[in-house]
Amino acid sequence: MPHIVKSTILDAPTDAAWSVLRDFNGHDRWHPAVATSTIERAQSSDKIGCVRRFKLKDGSELREQLLALSDLEQSFSYCLLDTPVPMFNYVAHVRLLPVTDGDRTFWHWESRFTTRPEDKDRITHMVAEDIYQAGFEAIRRHLKEAA
Amino acid sequence: MARVYVSTVVNARNDRVWARVRDFNGLPNWHPAIAESRIEGGEPSDKIGCVRDFRLRNGDRIREKLLGLSDYDMFCTYSILESPMGVENYVATLRLTPVTDGDQTFMEWTAEFDCAPERETELVNNIGGGVFQGGFDALKRVFGG
Repeated sequence: MPHIVKSTILDAPTDAAWSVLRDFNGHDRWHPAVATSTIERAQSSDKIGCVRRFKLKDGSELREQLLALSDLEQSFSYCLLDTPVPMFNYVAHVRLLPVTDGDRTFWHWESRFTTRPEDKDRITHMVAEDIYQAGFEAIRRHLKEAA
Repeated sequence: MARVYVSTVVNARNDRVWARVRDFNGLPNWHPAIAESRIEGGEPSDKIGCVRDFRLRNGDRIREKLLGLSDYDMFCTYSILESPMGVENYVATLRLTPVTDGDQTFMEWTAEFDCAPERETELVNNIGGGVFQGGFDALKRVFGG
């Protein structure tokens, strides 16, 4: 089972990063791969169990469900329900931890999933680089522009 | 219960930093406040349950017991058995997590303890800002950060 772990340091307090990341429906405003996003059944994006349906810039459509969200821990977890990519049992966790030495943020993003052996390397690279690492860079820019 | 949380980022891979801090008897090798340390009963310093008896440069003597050590998750948990600090039920954890984006290490040092209410602020500041941050600063001088 592929296990992806990516982490970075943001030069901003956790509250600033969390105010952007906690909105489960907000990724189309900062992630370069996401074109549009809506929460199904008009639910609130911080309701546990809500489903975000979103389109990537390449036109593919995905659905993901919010499994856990904590303002105390500044963390959330979600799983993939539908995707055109052959990945299964995908569960991801995002958490922010304060770097007290300098009022910065440690951002940890990890996931596990299953896939066909021949797709493993391609999909692992795609998630780690095009989604997670690209997301890190995008939030860095987003926070800089907001500041 | 009082809580201390201090964290930093060190400019080295976590395995290099871990090699420096994993020895429960090795505080004098990296922490500037510690003068000398020994493990009681001649036990190895990575035997869970071993006790380190160490002396600070200011002369204070502290005995601490190793409760948990993981080379896989890179953390070390210990409790205070004896100290002049006036704390009870003191348990602390030093944890390293890799920062994949640039070969750095995220270090967290946490503690929980009971004490007289009027001393809580002073103790939290001394332990967090003094002892823990002092250790981090020394590691940052060695590895950068």
